[in-house]
Amino acid sequence: MPISAVERPVLEIHDVECKYGGVSAVRGLSIEVKAGELVSLIGTNGAGKTTTLKCISGLVRAVHGRIIFNGKDITKAAPGDILAEGIAHCPEGRRVFPYMTVEENLQMGSYLRTDKERVQSDLERLFDRFPILKERRRQAAGTLSGGEQQMLAISRALMSRPKLVMFDEPSLGLAPNIIERTFEIIQEIREEGMTVLMVEQNAYAALALCDRAYVLESGEVVLQGSGTKLLEDPTVREAYLGG
Amino acid sequence: MEQFLQHVINAQILGGTYALLGVGLTLIFGIMRVVNFTHGELYTFGAYMLFMLVMPLGMNFFVGLVLAIVLGVILGALIEITLLRPIRGADIDTTMLVMIGAWIAMQNLEQLTWSGVAKSVSAPFPSDPLVIGSVSVGWDRVFVFGTAIFLIVGAHLLIHRTQLGKAMRATFQDRETAALMGVKINRIYTATFALGSGLAAAAGALLAPVFVVYPTMGDMAALKSFAIVILGGLGNFWGAALGGFILAFVEEFGAGYLSSGYRDAMGFVLIIIILIFRPTGIFAQKERIG
Repeated sequence: MPISAVERPVLEIHDVECKYGGVSAVRGLSIEVKAGELVSLIGTNGAGKTTTLKCISGLVRAVHGRIIFNGKDITKAAPGDILAEGIAHCPEGRRVFPYMTVEENLQMGSYLRTDKERVQSDLERLFDRFPILKERRRQAAGTLSGGEQQMLAISRALMSRPKLVMFDEPSLGLAPNIIERTFEIIQEIREEGMTVLMVEQNAYAALALCDRAYVLESGEVVLQGSGTKLLEDPTVREAYLGG
Repeated sequence: MEQFLQHVINAQILGGTYALLGVGLTLIFGIMRVVNFTHGELYTFGAYMLFMLVMPLGMNFFVGLVLAIVLGVILGALIEITLLRPIRGADIDTTMLVMIGAWIAMQNLEQLTWSGVAKSVSAPFPSDPLVIGSVSVGWDRVFVFGTAIFLIVGAHLLIHRTQLGKAMRATFQDRETAALMGVKINRIYTATFALGSGLAAAAGALLAPVFVVYPTMGDMAALKSFAIVILGGLGNFWGAALGGFILAFVEEFGAGYLSSGYRDAMGFVLIIIILIFRPTGIFAQKERIG
């Protein structure tokens, strides 16, 4: 466990219910993430993982329950205000702005920031970290490969200087070697002290990487525990790790 | 040859205003996906505002022009906030009906306010035309062309160089992700509609002293705007600007060398041909805004 894991969780989700097209996608959900932790949400399609993240970032409104971030109630806040509080959401499918350049995509990540000089130095740092993005800075993001788009999407999320980053299915649709690289990057980010909440279909990777995980089924938490413990749990092994 | 050059000059001037109309509509129809039947009324509105400010109120022509464009921007913002915002996410039929209603209401209000009699606006340009070699062109037309180009370049810089412009492009490329970046989506919709409307009002105001101002002047302008947007490819900025010039050239040369009675038909024949052979417009997708 990282040393910064202190008494009060940075993110607390209390008994949240979210509806998607009139149907409850998430119900009675309670999750917490402590500072410096990497927490994974795993579960099958339709278990409510993506809805949970969208609910935290304000894209979907909770109809019941409370979401507290750093002691502040953000349940009814707009996405921009939640980002300003320090939660960045790296959405499923990367969702780069296809007709904007790589650099413009990164600038969108820092859209709300007013400290222009530090934005520039953050940009340079990301370019040092991912030289391919620097090389393609003037290229339309839609022309990048899947792996490059994922690096861009992660970098864009980091450009807001968040306190917590949420990754939704970071491995989706990527080649195996790129998936490995993506998880390495996420590992690096959390080692730098970032708090991470990750949704991932690839349960093995999600559990191996995380401190703790929640298993979701039909919009409810059915199991929770440390990654290593869940990896050995017989029901998890059978349902999510192929026996 | 002289006649040919004169046609080229005429087409440039007409093309400037067509390009303004087209760029304005490609923002609204091409990227916001609002089938905007009020575009022609904003054009008419711009012309009437310039008439009101300059003729009865006696304002300086150039100040009046700037104010007319600003009023067009404001009217566009009001239309977006009152008519479109409440039905955001509704299907295209609903939006179209609302916009058709707005079009009819606006046109009738214009008729009620200014009657059906055409008005003219006098502009402070020298009456001697500019003569270059064997062709001559009125100063009012030179001014129309120069201002149109200035506004188009300005709009392009706004969309590509400013924070607002980046937020616009992001919003129309991926609304949900733009919201995640902290963009206030409703404001971007209003700003985009207002910008497109302002460009239409500018086109109307610019042409007011060249032609005359009457309540139904916007109908043909609206039809042609849609033609230009389709010609250039939906949401393609330079496509719309160049499309405006292409339409003007086709009309001018069609009218000059084939038959002037078919001037307005030429453009639509062109559109039909393009829709058959290049349904996504004649320009590449990569210049798309959203």
